[in-house]
Amino acid sequence: MTAGDSAGAPAVLDGPFTTRQLLRLDDALRLADQSTGLVFSVYVGDLDNPARGDAEKLHSQLADPDRSVLVAVSPNQRVLEIVTGAEARKRLPDRDCKLAALSMAASFSGGDLTGGIVSGLAQLADHAGRP
Amino acid sequence: MNAVSILQTVLVFVGIPAAVVVVITGLVYARSSRPGKRYRPGRPFDFTPVWFLSAPEPMSGVDGRAALPGARRAELTAGETAADSAVAAHGDTGGASDRW
Repeated sequence: MTAGDSAGAPAVLDGPFTTRQLLRLDDALRLADQSTGLVFSVYVGDLDNPARGDAEKLHSQLADPDRSVLVAVSPNQRVLEIVTGAEARKRLPDRDCKLAALSMAASFSGGDLTGGIVSGLAQLADHAGRP
Repeated sequence: MNAVSILQTVLVFVGIPAAVVVVITGLVYARSSRPGKRYRPGRPFDFTPVWFLSAPEPMSGVDGRAALPGARRAELTAGETAADSAVAAHGDTGGASDRW
């Protein structure tokens, strides 16, 4: 997985999304970041067992974990994890995360990965409000 | 009037419908030339894992696009190399889980 190399674009295109879907995701991420001041990030791929622990490990590798929100989706295991850092948790209570998770899982069960992630991010950003 | 030959009859009433069927079938399968890209819950879905952050600044031009992979690099490499390092204290992380 060398998405950081100069040949990064093709590696990303091997992922689960088409170019159009990638653009939608990018828009959603940027909007969420700008409107809340938090750092949202989306991981789509397999998670080691236990999924919660693995998602938290990924979250701790982010640049600023305290202010970060990680949405980890594993389509094959059909697992979704939302991890909020200490600072982000004050703005995004677990109850709101659960609500977003429910609606995302509903989209995923219909086979719509992009739609679920985009609407979930919008919902999370909405609940977090302005900084 | 000389009646049309059997060959002509067959050509018109069998050949043309057959040609139409072949064309339509070809069009249908040409459209789904990328099978397996679509995610269906419960079926194996092959893809390379991806991890996105938003672009540091709005992508207004080539500069913004060039900055995107750079922003991802730290996380992506960290995901492979530092996977087994001691997890930072994350006792106060929150969030939610769900399955489908």
